[in-house]
Amino acid sequence: MIEARGLSKRYGDVVAVDDVSFSIGKGEVVGFLGPNGAGKTTTMRMLTGFLPPTEGTAVIAGHDIFEDAVAARRSVGYLPETPPLYPEMTCRSYLTYVAKIKEVPRAARRGAVDQAIERCGLGDVYRRVISTLSKGFRQRVGIAQAILGDPPVLILDEPTVGLDPLQIREIRSLIAGFAAPGKGETQQTVVLSTHILAEVEAICRRVILISGGRKQIDAPITELTSGGRSLEEIFTQETLRDASVDQDLEGEA
Amino acid sequence: MRHIPTVAGRELRSMFVSPVAYGVLSLFSILGGVFFILYVAEFSEWVFRLQQMQAAQQLEDLNLSDHLVNGFYGSMSMVLLFLIPGITMGLFTAEKTNGTQELLLTSPLSIWDIVLGKFLAASTFVVLLAAIVGMFPAILFLYGDPEFGKTASGLLGVLLVGWTYAAIGCFASSLTRSQVLAFLVTFVILLCILLVPAMADLGIAGGASGVAEVLRWLSTGAHFDELAKGLVDTSDLAYFAVMIGIFLCMTKAVVESVRWR
Repeated sequence: MIEARGLSKRYGDVVAVDDVSFSIGKGEVVGFLGPNGAGKTTTMRMLTGFLPPTEGTAVIAGHDIFEDAVAARRSVGYLPETPPLYPEMTCRSYLTYVAKIKEVPRAARRGAVDQAIERCGLGDVYRRVISTLSKGFRQRVGIAQAILGDPPVLILDEPTVGLDPLQIREIRSLIAGFAAPGKGETQQTVVLSTHILAEVEAICRRVILISGGRKQIDAPITELTSGGRSLEEIFTQETLRDASVDQDLEGEA
Repeated sequence: MRHIPTVAGRELRSMFVSPVAYGVLSLFSILGGVFFILYVAEFSEWVFRLQQMQAAQQLEDLNLSDHLVNGFYGSMSMVLLFLIPGITMGLFTAEKTNGTQELLLTSPLSIWDIVLGKFLAASTFVVLLAAIVGMFPAILFLYGDPEFGKTASGLLGVLLVGWTYAAIGCFASSLTRSQVLAFLVTFVILLCILLVPAMADLGIAGGASGVAEVLRWLSTGAHFDELAKGLVDTSDLAYFAVMIGIFLCMTKAVVESVRWR
């Protein structure tokens, strides 16, 4: 479903993402792990077509992000770090607008919006203006926007950041539901980024750890923790090792 | 391209949710009324004086189109200079501060869909403004006999000036995240365009008549005056089309550059 081939992003001399490759199959839920500033958001932005990679490419649901850009963008539902909402619109009119620009056919539009509202638990608030919604509901509207039109790939950038524990639990079960859908719902491949380890353990079966712009670990969680180590130990070890390598380099210079 | 009305529709609805659109429309109507009364008062004063002086020839020359409607259109297009930056300043800046820019650029929309959609929304608003301007000369037709052709072509001038300003506003709004800055940049560009012919006349262009000619061509005012005089010339219409085209192309380039920065 997602095939990243040597993705790199440089801003002048600063390397944000350095030669990251991975392959994610249908129905997988993969956690993108890494400290803040590791390049998670940049990688996701490259997959969604918001930023072009400096080098490398990616293939989303069979569409190359350069050669078949529009089809690749159409295959992705994307929740950026801050949910992309128009505060002055009502929840429902916002979702209808998103359905229009995502080219959900006119006949199916109403149903698609209703389904997104229902799946994201927005049944009580869809008439309200977005600026009056709580942070948890806004996040859900953001997720509803991403799943509109049933894209085969969902890319969620820190979907639970800033939410309270109860809301976090609800969002997590929502996400878990995308990969294991009920009747009549499409199975989706989910990539989500986070720096909360418990979250990855709760919903993902596989982890990709990025640190300093490079891929450090790409393995199923069961395999990682089979040696008796917790994810936290592995995370700390990998990110610290990277930091110490950087320090050594600075020392030599 | 088929998503232009979708983008424009959302933009217009958002304009009318906030009080800004209503404020601008009310302010514009009030200013229109004030200017109109002033011009009518001035006109009747002239008529009165010329009658007293029994200057039959001048009375004959005095007419509503040239001595009232023209001046009124000119004043109203000056008001647009202040109001249009206020309408266009939010077009692209709000997308950036809301984070919705990421939604638009990762959707199947093309950059032209976004840019032309926003411009269509702003120009629809300008049509409303022009309609307000047109209301006042329409009153004159009830009580007098202004020339219809001149009145209509002058109004077309107001509309084209407004659209040109809107295109410039789109461009300024795409440059920055700050609405205030977008307003100021639009205003500065508009002022430059307004002042360019004055510079040309002062001979800053170094006396090279070719350069002065180009500078004078760049100014909106001269082309507007031709239309207000009732002269609908292709070269003037082309000027507005070229200006709008240039600024929309630059807007498109700026919006697209987010992808390549």
